[in-house]
Amino acid sequence: MQEIDNIVNGQKLFLKPEYQEVLKNKKQFEGHAGATNPEKLKEIATWTTTWEYREKNLAREHITINPAKACQPLGAVMAALGFENTMPYVHGSHGCVAYFRSYFTRHFKEPTPCVSDSMSESAAVFGGLANMKEGLRNCKALYKPEMIAVSTTCMAEVIGDDLDAFVKGAVTDAEGELDSTYIPAAHTPSFKGSHITGYDNMMEAIFKTLTPEGDVVKDEERINIIPGFESYLGSLKEVKKNSFNV
Amino acid sequence: MTAETLLSQQKAAIAEVLEAYPEKARKSREKHLGVDAPEGVKGACDSTKSNKQTVPGVMSQRGCAYAGSKGVVWGPIKDMIHISHGPIGCGQYSRAGRRNYYVGTTGVDTYVTMNFSTDYQEKDIVFGGDKKLKAALAEIDELFPLNNGISIQSECPIGLIGDDIQAVAKAYKKESGKPTVAVSCEGFRGVSQSLGHHIANDVIRDEVLGDNSYKKDFESTPYDVTIIGDYNIGGDAWSSRILLEEMGLRVIAQWSGDATYKEMTIAPKAKINLLHCYRSMNYVVRHMEQEFGVPWMEYNFFGPTKTTESLRKIAAFFDESIQAKTEAVIAKYTKMTDAVIAKYKPKLAGKTVMLYVGGLRPRHVIGAYEDLGMEVIGTGYEFGHGDDYKRTKEELSRATLIYDDVNEYELEQFVKKLKPDLVASGVKEKYVFQKMGLPFRQMHSWDYSGPYHGYDAFAIFAKDMDLAMNSPVWAHTKAPWESN
Amino acid sequence: MSELRQIAFYGKGGIGKSTTSQNTLAAMAHYFGKKILIVGCDPKADSTRLILHEKAQCTIMQLASEVGTVEDLELEDVCKPGAAEFDPANTDITEGFIMCAESGGPEPGVGCAGRGVITAINFLEEEGAYDEDLDFVSYDVLGDVVCGGFAMPIREGKAQEIYIVMSGEMMAMYAANNISKGILKYANTGGVRLAGLICNARMTDREYDLAKHLAEQIGTQLIHFVPRSNHVQRAELRRMTVVEFAEKSDQAYEYRELARKIIANDLKVIPKPLEMDDLEALLMEFGLEEEVEADAIGKKATA
Repeated sequence: MQEIDNIVNGQKLFLKPEYQEVLKNKKQFEGHAGATNPEKLKEIATWTTTWEYREKNLAREHITINPAKACQPLGAVMAALGFENTMPYVHGSHGCVAYFRSYFTRHFKEPTPCVSDSMSESAAVFGGLANMKEGLRNCKALYKPEMIAVSTTCMAEVIGDDLDAFVKGAVTDAEGELDSTYIPAAHTPSFKGSHITGYDNMMEAIFKTLTPEGDVVKDEERINIIPGFESYLGSLKEVKKNSFNV
Repeated sequence: MTAETLLSQQKAAIAEVLEAYPEKARKSREKHLGVDAPEGVKGACDSTKSNKQTVPGVMSQRGCAYAGSKGVVWGPIKDMIHISHGPIGCGQYSRAGRRNYYVGTTGVDTYVTMNFSTDYQEKDIVFGGDKKLKAALAEIDELFPLNNGISIQSECPIGLIGDDIQAVAKAYKKESGKPTVAVSCEGFRGVSQSLGHHIANDVIRDEVLGDNSYKKDFESTPYDVTIIGDYNIGGDAWSSRILLEEMGLRVIAQWSGDATYKEMTIAPKAKINLLHCYRSMNYVVRHMEQEFGVPWMEYNFFGPTKTTESLRKIAAFFDESIQAKTEAVIAKYTKMTDAVIAKYKPKLAGKTVMLYVGGLRPRHVIGAYEDLGMEVIGTGYEFGHGDDYKRTKEELSRATLIYDDVNEYELEQFVKKLKPDLVASGVKEKYVFQKMGLPFRQMHSWDYSGPYHGYDAFAIFAKDMDLAMNSPVWAHTKAPWESN
Repeated sequence: MSELRQIAFYGKGGIGKSTTSQNTLAAMAHYFGKKILIVGCDPKADSTRLILHEKAQCTIMQLASEVGTVEDLELEDVCKPGAAEFDPANTDITEGFIMCAESGGPEPGVGCAGRGVITAINFLEEEGAYDEDLDFVSYDVLGDVVCGGFAMPIREGKAQEIYIVMSGEMMAMYAANNISKGILKYANTGGVRLAGLICNARMTDREYDLAKHLAEQIGTQLIHFVPRSNHVQRAELRRMTVVEFAEKSDQAYEYRELARKIIANDLKVIPKPLEMDDLEALLMEFGLEEEVEADAIGKKATA
């Protein structure tokens, strides 16, 4: 039981003897090897450290385990987050966006704005044009961004939504509300490449939108640094500092 | 604040929030926002629309059906391997994010915090991925021979290109002799994670409960119960289990936090199923009632008042010996929780709280706050249904803002308007409010603390709330560039 | 009640598949008192038009997009009784009736029609549409099995017997062979079987022989050869089946015969689709394709 002058959370609470007893007692109902056959567990655990296991593991082709990669729209959202007054907008299911926001929030310990146009079963069948039309307007009305950076989830990509046409259609139908908003759009199918690819695709779309052809001014004194999917903000700070010194 | 001012502030807040929307979205959102109070005959809890499609273009906090199945219901079953079937993202984002505690050797006999993905590529989308899936199943069994089963959790593309994962699972099960189940929980189905819970429950019903291999030799006692709908976040189920065992009951299965496949199959042997998270597991307990005649009962282990109430309700189902032991358990712990209240209530009483969470918590945690003298002035569900809101009404003690599927914009505006002393929600909201200078607690993951279920856990809850609200840091939130 | 039989009609677009299936099913209800549910699996939603006397007004997907989600739909909204004699309430002729549901789906070129089929079938099953007192559920599926969604009706637990509607034209033969390949893929894991070819005659040369030969090669039967008849078009203009429009006509008897054979059919096989070369050889044998010298491939006409 808790002691009032030394309240501990799970880390220490479950080390108390009464809880150790609970966990021991639970074993009789459990089915994992640790409860049913500790010897076997030890044997297999040792086997996983062998050269034979290493070779087997390296020969693995079909199941991916604990990879160090994520999917394209995450990178697209990251690229968009770097621009001022820009709202990342993901065309597809909203579950993806909940994941992107949690993932970045945990990493950066900062709020992560990003909207979705919440395509669901009927949008999967009929296409997501209606969602795009309503979504862009709602996003603009609530957050008043200067730029809305649109990327896609795999659902929208599988059904083949025509992103550029959808954005144009949405702007035309918005009664002028979206006329002064930049809306770069990038196809970011998650079954191709990784978050790195998504970052690049979004970046390309943003550049194309912000610098229309024929509007290019060459300036020998200026450079752009595109850091790629760089999630360590300290590095960016350092780059900025050093580039002023050059 | 008087009841009238609170009420009028809440109504004004709703009106103001709705003004920001274009007409179509406003019409939809106004049905999801309202005010309710204990004395009102019919308030927002009766009329609020819920479990409806989210308005496009907002920052909804909702997840998807895959999150409901893989993330919530199936994922915590520790001795099974859960494949995120489809492109790489979903498995990666849902990896180890929910703090489902478990005992085991990860990677050898238990696998909860690992990400297994079929990492779909374009060619799999075009040509179908059933062959790849079959090969993946075989690889898993070779590298993880101690797994007690595999579940296939499908992501969006699977349902669009029409892969027949059920057939693959069935064929593999026949070949390997191990449980192999396919769950069609594509993220675009339904409006939130809620449909994912339902789909996951249905698969447990069809593929797991019928497995009699462990039921045969099971020796029953008159006091066998289960804990259903506890995901052992920060160890919640363990700090619940200890109380039930001290009452003289035998907890034969925990669903699904720290669960093994065996526990999933023997649950119908219980005398009663004890249901904590109604939203995510009511479907399967209803089924067990119909099919196996196991009754079920909802309970609430947040805060001593509700815990004591629940323990008595559970004891009433059993004989007098259990009831006597229960009273002894209550007496033993109440001494401690009284001391906790004496210590923390003076520092927290009268502080107001706004909640926005999922599952059962928008109503279940109200009692715990009230035990500390704190006042809940707003609450809402990410993915609740009408029956959740009806159950919420009983928990209200004052005029309360009710918001269904509230999005980031609305919640931020409501908080600015009602100025609660604490916001309790999820990680996506955490820094929004902390950066506004407001104390915040994550009530999905217990902010890396917990457990919060049961008596011992209440002490942690009280301490955490005190730490959050009375931290000296809040005296130093003025930005250096702001003038005095 | 006899056990529910789930059947499906597949066939190349434009072959007269919907017409054939509706006339056949109408005959099963009209002459044999069978109780049937038609599930149209084609975004065009024309698999029930002749039974309802109108194009289906509420397809499952269209209604789902109006109310928000498919979970909010009611079975009665999308599962409609047939018109006149096909209404369950109408027992003038027989106890037989036909209920009609259409999956519906997007306009060509957008969205995902295959998913519409999956959604619709899942919905009907979950809502208990198959629990009614039915003898047959019949799926009418869009021409080619273009993606997994259109194979939904032949997955395990769905249609057990497939009828391929074809004709003696080259492309129809190719399509029939392709559909057999689709069935083969699912036949080993699920219980789906090919139950026969239905030749909807175009009156091409040696059509009957060709169709019969193809059927034998694939390992099945030519279950019926439906001759061409103007009655079909006339009935169709009135949005009716021949069975209802001219029940005494020869053509109605043809459909009755086909209906009888399907009801009595117990030849259900795992198909043996032909390799491309064999199929071409077969077509050549029957004069649908001419042999070309290897060096003539890709060459323009000389004169």
